[in-house]
Amino acid sequence: MRIKDLGSRPAPATIRGFLSRVMRGQGPAIPVERRILPYWQEHGWTRQGTVYNGNYQTSYAAFIGYIEEHRGGHIDFYLYNPSDEIRSHSHWACFQHRGTDWYLIHMARQPRDVSSGIITVEQLIREAYEQ
Amino acid sequence: MKKLSVVVAGTGQIRDLEIQPGTTAGDVLHQLNLADYLLSKGPNEPFFAAAESVYDKVKDGEKIFASTKAEVGVLALCA
Repeated sequence: MRIKDLGSRPAPATIRGFLSRVMRGQGPAIPVERRILPYWQEHGWTRQGTVYNGNYQTSYAAFIGYIEEHRGGHIDFYLYNPSDEIRSHSHWACFQHRGTDWYLIHMARQPRDVSSGIITVEQLIREAYEQ
Repeated sequence: MKKLSVVVAGTGQIRDLEIQPGTTAGDVLHQLNLADYLLSKGPNEPFFAAAESVYDKVKDGEKIFASTKAEVGVLALCA
């Protein structure tokens, strides 16, 4: 005999739920509120006062960073322990060593907000790995 | 037509658009009155050039980012 009847058992709740939805048809759609978050927050950066901590993230690599917002709108972007790829980038001269492997990234053109600066640094990291 | 959501950096605001084939990054920024911004799909792809077609590069309903123009560099040292 190729098939052995092992008896029956109740279907798991997920399958029962699925079947009952199929049987009674689709209910009205429930609108879902989308979260409106700034880029820095959506990408896991945290803020304490005027200092932000997080990671510059690309598909190639992620680097620990922190950002300081100063009065008057000036923003400093720091990156920890840049890789050889970043050190080989044409903009490596714009990374100023601040001790213990922290580097201040000098901006020739200042971003107007923290999120724009993070995106700019992440673009530079991507370029460094694609060069 | 494709739907597109543009997250504006600095505000967290999301602007919903419907774009037609051939719509460029410049068209989008102009429509949103974001003259000094750049569009990107995120950190893994370069910024869109102003004349580049956004329509061809985004999926229907995709979220992209508008960030203010910034440049890493020390004027005397970096290109």
